Amino acid sequence: MKTATVLIVAIVSQAIGNVYLTKAMKTVTSVGADDLMTTILRAASNPTLWLGTALLIVFFALYSAALSWADLSFVLPATAFGYVLNVAAGHYFLNESVSPARWAGSAIIMLGVVLVSRSGVRTIPRVELL
Amino acid sequence: MMTALMIAIVVMGGSAGDVFVTKGMKEIGEISTVHPGKLAWIGLRVLRNVNFLIGIFFMACSFFAFLAVLSWADLSFVLPATSLSFVVTTIGAKFVLKEDISRLRLAGTVLVCLGVALISLP
Repeated sequence: MKTATVLIVAIVSQAIGNVYLTKAMKTVTSVGADDLMTTILRAASNPTLWLGTALLIVFFALYSAALSWADLSFVLPATAFGYVLNVAAGHYFLNESVSPARWAGSAIIMLGVVLVSRSGVRTIPRVELL
Repeated sequence: MMTALMIAIVVMGGSAGDVFVTKGMKEIGEISTVHPGKLAWIGLRVLRNVNFLIGIFFMACSFFAFLAVLSWADLSFVLPATSLSFVVTTIGAKFVLKEDISRLRLAGTVLVCLGVALISLP
């Protein structure tokens, strides 16, 4: 239950973070062709970009936290559900077109995640916090 | 040839990064508090853990190799190829971290790998 909660919050943060990053980077580069330095400065002063980055840091912190008790071979495929969320978020919030192959890939990932989630969270001995 | 080499660095670097980060986090021990002060203290210990930092270093190498290979190869080729990292990481988890990979988990991981490859195609 703890693992599921932490990983779901992690995945949702990652998906929203990626949407914000994409939105921010599209506005940063759509203004016009500048030199690299101007683009970097404009990116650094974009609050949406920082918000996206902060959400990705939240994702990584929660991902690492889950690894403090769960198997890597469980957490890694389980977080692949994030790909499905990213496809859905890109479709609904960024109006990206999603090909049938992409929806099929999402369905296969979901099936894989269901199988992995039924294989138990941990197969190695529990380690107490030092 | 150069593309294959760089993709190998992306995949192996990412997998090594995950394995080392997991090693580090297992040394820290199970986090089961939501107390902000305690979490901050744990966070500081994590950021000083050698295995965790080695993991971050490998992840950074993987990311820069990814950026480099994208400068000449198509994303629609590189991204599906990197889905191999799911299988490579699982092998690392089995032999380095001694995790027990059941048939169920292996089957799920292979499906995830296939699905990610399919999603990444144009």
